[in-house]
Amino acid sequence: MKDLDFAADKVLAKEFLSNFADANGEAKYMKILQEVANHKTRAIQIYLEDLINYKDLDEEFLRRVTENTRRYIGIFADAIDELMPEPTEAFTDDDHDILMTQRSDEGVESADGSDPLQKMPPEIKRYFEVYIRASSKGRPFTIREVKASYIGQLVRISGIVTRCSDVKPLMQVAVYTCEDCGFEIYQEVTARVFMPLFECPSKRCDTNRSKGNLILQLRASKFLKFQEAKIQELAEHVPKGHIPRTMTVHFRGELTRKVAPGDVVELSGIFLPIPYTGFRAMRAGLVADTYLEAMSVTHFKKKYEEYELRGDEEEQIARLAEDGDIYNKLARSLAPEIFGHDDIKKALLLLLVGAPHRKLKDGMKIRGDLHICLMGDPGVAKSQLLKHIINVAPRGVYTTGRGSSGVGLTAAVQKDPVTNEMVLEGGALVLADMGICAIDEFDKMDESDRTAIHEVMEQQTVSIAKAGITTSLNARTAVLAAANPAWGRYDLRRTPAENINLPPALLSRFDLLWLILDRADMDSDLEMARHVVYVHQNKESPALGFTPLEPSLLRAYISAARRLSPSVPRELEEYIASAYSSIRQEEAKSNTPHSYTTIRTLLSILRVSAALARLRFSDFVAQSDVDEALRLMQMSKFSLYSDERQKSGLDAISDIYSILRDEAARSNRMDVSYAHALNWISRKGYSEAQLKECLEEYAALNVWQIHPHTFDIRFIDA
Amino acid sequence: MVGLPYDFLVNPLGAVRSTFEKALATGSDPASFDGKDWGALDLFRQFLFDQGGLSRVPVLTPTTIRWIKPNMLVRFRGMIQDMLGNEFYVGAYKDGSVWRTNKFIDVSQFSMNDSADMLIWERRLLYCVPVPGQNAWTEISSEAVGNDCMDWASQQREKRRRTDNESADCVDMTRDDQHPSPASEFGAAVTEGTSSSMSMVCGPDANSLPCLVKIYDSPESDLKLNDVFEFVGVLTSDQEPHVDKDFEFSNGFCEGPSLQFLHNKVPLLHCFVYRKLAAQDFLKNNPMAEPKPQLIREIREALLRHLTAILGNDEIAAHFLLLHLLSRVHTRVDAVAVGKLSLNLTSFKKETTSIYGNRLSVAVKDLLPFTHCIPLTVDYLNSTSLAPKKDYDTNRLTTGVLQLAEGSHVIVDETKLEAGILNSVGVENTRLLKNLMQLQKVEYDFKYYKMEMAADVQLLILSEGKSNILPADVVVPFRPSSVASSEAITAEALEAWRWYLATVRLLPYTIKSEIQKVVENDLVAAMQADRSLSPDDFSRWLTMGRLISLSFGETCLSLEHWEMVKELEKLRRERLK
Repeated sequence: MKDLDFAADKVLAKEFLSNFADANGEAKYMKILQEVANHKTRAIQIYLEDLINYKDLDEEFLRRVTENTRRYIGIFADAIDELMPEPTEAFTDDDHDILMTQRSDEGVESADGSDPLQKMPPEIKRYFEVYIRASSKGRPFTIREVKASYIGQLVRISGIVTRCSDVKPLMQVAVYTCEDCGFEIYQEVTARVFMPLFECPSKRCDTNRSKGNLILQLRASKFLKFQEAKIQELAEHVPKGHIPRTMTVHFRGELTRKVAPGDVVELSGIFLPIPYTGFRAMRAGLVADTYLEAMSVTHFKKKYEEYELRGDEEEQIARLAEDGDIYNKLARSLAPEIFGHDDIKKALLLLLVGAPHRKLKDGMKIRGDLHICLMGDPGVAKSQLLKHIINVAPRGVYTTGRGSSGVGLTAAVQKDPVTNEMVLEGGALVLADMGICAIDEFDKMDESDRTAIHEVMEQQTVSIAKAGITTSLNARTAVLAAANPAWGRYDLRRTPAENINLPPALLSRFDLLWLILDRADMDSDLEMARHVVYVHQNKESPALGFTPLEPSLLRAYISAARRLSPSVPRELEEYIASAYSSIRQEEAKSNTPHSYTTIRTLLSILRVSAALARLRFSDFVAQSDVDEALRLMQMSKFSLYSDERQKSGLDAISDIYSILRDEAARSNRMDVSYAHALNWISRKGYSEAQLKECLEEYAALNVWQIHPHTFDIRFIDA
Repeated sequence: MVGLPYDFLVNPLGAVRSTFEKALATGSDPASFDGKDWGALDLFRQFLFDQGGLSRVPVLTPTTIRWIKPNMLVRFRGMIQDMLGNEFYVGAYKDGSVWRTNKFIDVSQFSMNDSADMLIWERRLLYCVPVPGQNAWTEISSEAVGNDCMDWASQQREKRRRTDNESADCVDMTRDDQHPSPASEFGAAVTEGTSSSMSMVCGPDANSLPCLVKIYDSPESDLKLNDVFEFVGVLTSDQEPHVDKDFEFSNGFCEGPSLQFLHNKVPLLHCFVYRKLAAQDFLKNNPMAEPKPQLIREIREALLRHLTAILGNDEIAAHFLLLHLLSRVHTRVDAVAVGKLSLNLTSFKKETTSIYGNRLSVAVKDLLPFTHCIPLTVDYLNSTSLAPKKDYDTNRLTTGVLQLAEGSHVIVDETKLEAGILNSVGVENTRLLKNLMQLQKVEYDFKYYKMEMAADVQLLILSEGKSNILPADVVVPFRPSSVASSEAITAEALEAWRWYLATVRLLPYTIKSEIQKVVENDLVAAMQADRSLSPDDFSRWLTMGRLISLSFGETCLSLEHWEMVKELEKLRRERLK
């Protein structure tokens, strides 16, 4: 009954192979078979997806293939045997072919092929290997999720390779010759261990009762390449408080030498038990080791370019893109547990998005990666911001200026302890190629790395000329640096330049520089005190007031945005140029210039604008993008110099007036109680006496009326 | 129905089999038992907890392993040190026309070669070790239980011998008729037992007895790494032959050898029931079920007096030490471990360390179940592996000093540290210690990536100046006034203190909203007065408020206790000047 089934399935397989047409309408598998016939390739990969898309799909057949894959590989191989076309090109015969021709000649002569052991097994004739590849749709399993019920089935698993054995030959068909009768005897080997034959089972020897001795013919036998590997669960798949699981994987034939320890891979394969053999099987028949018979190997690359949107992500992104407030929403979702710092988060979001790289006709490259430096007092969550960005970015390296390894940040030539050869080892910046490199304690960097980082930040390469190795490594990475001020804490009495402990040549390479100061501010103090008390009281963080987007969705959105390469329309050129020149003018007027506005600044404006356009999914930079870019750059300067602006700009009285005016406008009222007013201005560091002075002065100007007893304020609307 | 047809202690598998047959008899399909219990566990739970059978179950220790026979019900207390993944086994199979089960056994009782119907089930393997740093007083006086049980077991044996010939053995009655005669099987079991107990004692360390526990059908989230559990199950001896070991694993690569090694050297427990142990469970006897406020105050006063005496009449240090001993990580919010209170006693000289340091470590040992002492020297930092590391050659997690059970106490003695050069191991180790201190997390090294495991460890640092390697939450300069020899402590007092420390820290705790306002305002005022205060300081004060309230056995922060926090903090700050 079962045999009948399989025979029918073989017909189905044959039909599928000969009739399946790919998107171009060509018979995909017949083309592959022709290549196999011409000895161009060995591997025949049958995509389960093709089977699903096949027009005459039999659902039951598909189910049988996925649940009993190993058997169906045999069926497909049988079907291929029957379909195999004649070679269309000549190829040189190797030993194997010569043997085969001889065998087929003999086969005709000795017609007593009724003996199963004497019949040539189909494996020995095959030049090809059949693999059934699982559908790449859906999420691959983690090792933990593969349960006993999956035994025998085709599964897809992701993991990291931890160990690999050498590639060894594995006997597939053992061939013997009999001393007496001279027959070739074949024995198929299906397990890793087999019992060799010693007595000739052929009819002639049997009838003669001669018990002919069998000699194993290594040259005539068929061997397969075989490699064993271990994969381990990825760190992000391990539940809290558990140890990653491992699984044994067997690679055969063409799949060997595809993986090395440390590779993150996605495998599809058949989950199989290893039958115990010999004495063990008798005693310990209870337990079964399992392994995965690999069917395909895909290296898992964490790059934006190869980021595949899964499931409903595309839809979600589309919905988000329509939302006008996406810029704010995404920015807030970065490190949602860190309070405030909205503009900094916006800048970090733009760093994640980046601008497109430009390559000019003469071969010059202009980087698209944004570099950002966060400088600030200790304990203002700089490191946390950095770590969070690294977690969001698909490829990110977090390191400190004094990275502990000898390789440092850039690259080093090292002597391999085993082979004594000089090898080039990439540092953090090289490892973060096409990603983000977050460098904490930037100010404490080694001098040697600091010179190299100049090159990385503008040319995006690391050049090395040591120990006879002269080379240039790619380091196309966005640098996110965090540094402490020169004296540990920001010293307000000194100029910003003195506080920032970095040379101008390095500073000018950062597109945005933020200073995060720990200021005395009643509001933020109270906010902080509340937060701490809340955490202790309720054992959780206070509600954020919004739901942050999932990091995975954030990643998906950014990767979608990064596919665009927005350009600056002609009509905006003038606008940007004038904006740039006005910054230059302003700086020239000031007697103590704080920043060095150079041509790099102009490039920064363009980069930030392009990143903003990417976020809008637009192919063109709009004026609003440029405005926002300019605002961010202005804000980043404000964060550095706002103290001085306050001192030099408005006097106390007018500042108090503007504070009150703003607050009143915000609450949309014409009346302000004295207590409120006092509260507001004291937060900004003004005294009650100053407030009274202000009230009198502006009351005289008829801007507002003051209640004679309570001192409450009523604005007179103009 | 006179008694049960099987004995839980000596023949637990009998219960498993009989319930299996009973379940089959009611028409259940064996395939539906995958990942489920068919009623056997309920029986065991009833026996262990409702009928108080738990105390009669012998505890597996290096001494008891000598006489405990395989297939007996035993319990094992230990920490989950490693997880060896899962194992597939033939859970049930058809022997002729009868379904049989292999659950809770290693080797099938009956031949199953020609069985076509096999159900493959899954079980998990945990490698458990005695809790690191476990103090002697926590051990169950195994002699008492053991002797009792041993006598009783031998009695049973006697009885069996007598009844053997009549084949009226109550145990075997429930088994199937097709099995070999009870006498011969029993004989086999005895010989097996003696031989296996011989091989088991020669473990890696005679004093610590690791155990391989096989867990059935429980949610994975129940059992976490480094948790302390008590497992009750069948002890089996693994008689699996390993003649073909060299042959089969000759490719120099397989997890086989280590697992083989384990199977050979370590006792195996098929777990029926497990329960998580807290510090309370290690107390000899729970003196009182309901804490009375007055009593708690008295114990607190006595303990504080004791600690003050140990610390040479330094009352402030004693107060902080008490709070420190009560601390635990009760929540994690984002990256912050809330509730930890590590303490750094400074101003230790070489001479004072030898007196007070030793006294302190002895005192802590007497009070807490799991304690450690790390003498911090450059050599130590450069050579010791603090973090657990995955060894891919054996596929095992090699333990490190910092693989500790929840609630462990660690004294780091920094006074022995001298100037020297740290190598890369040393740098890594200091980073680990710092992380443990600040985040209560330890990074486990899996070579290809690191995994952070949450820890809950009380850290006490003794140092000369303020320790910069290990920035503790509280820094208290230590000022002993007299080297009074501490008075003798009665065993009852010790018991009461242990109970106090174990219980009080677990009390629930809230901050009422009126107090909350006061606290917030105090914090803001303090911030305005002193700009150098950080959220960490606030967090510490609130933790101290919690611990002070709990130390009085109260579950709400009162104004009085909040004032105490401020007062203590003021005194401490004065000392720091």
